[in-house]
Amino acid sequence: MNAPDHNRWSEDLAAYLLGALERDEAAELERHLEGCERCQEEMRWLEPAVQLLPESVERAEPPSRLRQTLMAEVREDVREAKERPAPARGWRWLLKPAAGIAVVALLVAGVVGYEVGKDGSGGENGGASTVVRQVDGLTVKMVQEGSAGTLQIEGLKPLPSDKVLEAWVEREGEVEAVPALFVPDRHGHAEATIADMTGVETVMVTEEPPGGSEAPTGEPIMSMKVPA
Amino acid sequence: MAVRREKAERLADEELMPLVGRKDPEAFEVLYDRHGGAAYSLAYRIVGDRAAAEEVTQEAFISVWRSGARFDAARGSVRSWLLSVVRNRAIDFLRSRAGKAPKLTFDDDAALEARPAEERTEDEALRRETAAELRGALGKLPGEQSKVIELAYFGGFSHSEISRILGLPMGTVKGRMRLGLEKIRGELAEGLA
Repeated sequence: MNAPDHNRWSEDLAAYLLGALERDEAAELERHLEGCERCQEEMRWLEPAVQLLPESVERAEPPSRLRQTLMAEVREDVREAKERPAPARGWRWLLKPAAGIAVVALLVAGVVGYEVGKDGSGGENGGASTVVRQVDGLTVKMVQEGSAGTLQIEGLKPLPSDKVLEAWVEREGEVEAVPALFVPDRHGHAEATIADMTGVETVMVTEEPPGGSEAPTGEPIMSMKVPA
Repeated sequence: MAVRREKAERLADEELMPLVGRKDPEAFEVLYDRHGGAAYSLAYRIVGDRAAAEEVTQEAFISVWRSGARFDAARGSVRSWLLSVVRNRAIDFLRSRAGKAPKLTFDDDAALEARPAEERTEDEALRRETAAELRGALGKLPGEQSKVIELAYFGGFSHSEISRILGLPMGTVKGRMRLGLEKIRGELAEGLA
């Protein structure tokens, strides 16, 4: 579908891609883009030209201390994360009625998700296992490598501006948030990393307010049992 | 769990990103080794100062390290995404450094009118642009088109600022941006760029 004022916005696409529109102009163009396939197509065509610009820069050699300083900060982050106490697990937050209802819905949906998805394909490749299922009208791909996993969802509808997606896992009867919030891109694809898949029985996703929630506040848009 | 450096080196950028999201320092180090040079070069091209370029590059990579999961493969390559993060940081740096300078707003028309357009152009362009010349496809563009693209992408100027700097109508500035990008894109499509 092409919006009726396509021509007006088409003229702004190059300035938008170059970061040269004012913030409110850019926001207005983004709203137009959602409903104008011709503008989306033109933008996809022009985008590689902008991506070429940083490659045209004369090469300057970074000082070696930059790498050293950077990696020292990174390793310090890792060290601090290891020393940080693990988040408490438990059912205490379930005492809140709304949260309790939400988690029951999550767990029930988890079973439904498994039943719907049990015909899905799966496979192993080089130490990584991949499970693909149709769950709640979405295509869900769970890639596990070692103790970590990546949840990829296709077919998501655009989110309201005051919502983000939050992933949850259930293990040993406890539901806990995955510390990563995510949103679908314009193709309806979203992805979240689950750092520790050890013992996870079910993976779920809910819509939450920006910043996420400590406990799910509504029914899941997707819930999938993870094969043992 | 950290993958070993040798294993990380065999992975494509898109495969490294989930590992970076899981805080794997070896995967991140490989990412830096692959793109750190281009990132620093871009930062230096924009901020025009080695110490500032170093600071910008470090901040950009640390932001990638701490939010690696934000990369969206559907929107382009890891390298393009990384360089766009660097570009945004560098432009932010320029704007914060220029904080004390008179801001180019409609209220400043009088100050702008006191100097000829050509002089303003040179001042602004020289202040924010330090590399000698653009190469490749950008270098093949007519000067009027490459100038507006450079001022926007490497200078961080909005189209309305550029129209005032160059003394051109805004529609002309946007038109030149469009023509310039279309020419670069056309050359890319023909495999000449």
